[in-house]
Amino acid sequence: MDYDPMAMDDAESLGPVVKISQADSVRVKFELQNADISFANSLRRVMLGEIPTIAIDLVEIENNSSVLADEFIAHRLGLIPLNAEGVEHLLYSRDCDCEEYCEHCSVRLTLHARCTGYDNMSVSARDLVPVGERINQTLGTPIITDKDGTGSLILKLRPDQEIKLECIAKKGIAKEHAKWAPSAAIGFEYDPHNKLRHLDLWYESDPKAEWPPSEYAKWEEPPVEGEPFDFDAVPNHFYFNVETAGNLPPDGIVAEGIKVIQQKLAGLIHELTEGEGDGGYDGPRSPEYNSGPDTNYGYSTSYGGNGGNQSAWGGGGGTTPFGGQTSYGGGGWS
Amino acid sequence: MNAPDRFELFLLGEGEKKITETVVNSIPNCSDFMLKKEDHTVGNLLAEHLKKDPQVMFAAYKIGHPNVPEVLLRVQTNGQINPREALVKVLKELVAAYGQLGREFQKELALRQYADQGEGSGSGGAI
Ligand SMILES: [Zn+2]
Repeated sequence: MDYDPMAMDDAESLGPVVKISQADSVRVKFELQNADISFANSLRRVMLGEIPTIAIDLVEIENNSSVLADEFIAHRLGLIPLNAEGVEHLLYSRDCDCEEYCEHCSVRLTLHARCTGYDNMSVSARDLVPVGERINQTLGTPIITDKDGTGSLILKLRPDQEIKLECIAKKGIAKEHAKWAPSAAIGFEYDPHNKLRHLDLWYESDPKAEWPPSEYAKWEEPPVEGEPFDFDAVPNHFYFNVETAGNLPPDGIVAEGIKVIQQKLAGLIHELTEGEGDGGYDGPRSPEYNSGPDTNYGYSTSYGGNGGNQSAWGGGGGTTPFGGQTSYGGGGWS
Repeated sequence: MNAPDRFELFLLGEGEKKITETVVNSIPNCSDFMLKKEDHTVGNLLAEHLKKDPQVMFAAYKIGHPNVPEVLLRVQTNGQINPREALVKVLKELVAAYGQLGREFQKELALRQYADQGEGSGSGGAI
């Protein structure tokens, strides 16, 4: 096992190294090496809170004779994961030229159900029907992953009860509301043997017996009995477990997270290197507008088909040159 | 009722600058950078990586109040470069490092998918 950091010199000039241990449609587990904890943690935070997705944000209820209150149902609707592939081509409503929402900045979904039988009836995410113009044919479609193919349960109706409503799904990030979070959970772990003593494990009588080793314990050397404590040691291996809520593929979450943090940093470079008073932009703009028009972040994702789709930024302003091919290396920064 | 809008955590206000530099006159080669609408994600990342730079003598950040999305970053250099240059250098290194991380990740993922297909198991190709 070559987990000695000194042995990593053959890697691309000692930059971050990734080892994927599991990847499927629900989660991706990977180990990040040769990075420090701030680097790893910033990626974790960005994946949790700042990746744009789409979620129901406005609900207009035409008829609700169910036992649940309108606002209760509206809240449940907001939490239903919607397919977010292609959301980069959707505008934020606040950046759009329209009055409140339009097909450039939202997806409309309708729900109409009436219990006509003698038994109670379940209304679930499957019954939400996207209507009207969409940027692509999957954006905003409710995510259905269960065996029965119904999706999340929204409410139940007794005989003769009816629910009829229209929803507007908008683009947003989880920093505004957790319903926009792409990940159900992000596992983050380092130092499985607690050699660095960042953890102070509580125990009844024997910490070894009461704290079973993590699945990553076998990836690292266990501590040697009587070994002196290394005061200079810092964590260097981080174990991520990115689980999707369904709206983005798990590897897409990682790729998008990297993109978002690069945009953040590139926006700062732009601000610091442009001369004062270059009138660039002032006033509220969504985060991805923050970067300059000539910024090449170098790295771009291509989940969602063959990448390189043309973006359809309705309103003028700054355009983001994403979607192109990866071209880091030579040009760009440094 | 009087809670601030959540988007105020990440949307710059009217006329607000993302980052402003204030030179600290009492300390040589020292500047305070005020980052608006940012949090520990950027503050911690920049402070920690500035500290690794041999030309940086001091770097630290604080978030004055947990409800106020502002990061104050203080940078002091040894005089060979100024704090702004040090910050830009670290920012560029970080963009490159994340770029490499992204490429590494995609490369590993492609290798994995290739291996999964070789095994002939049904688990591959799902992503
Ligand atoms: Zn619009």
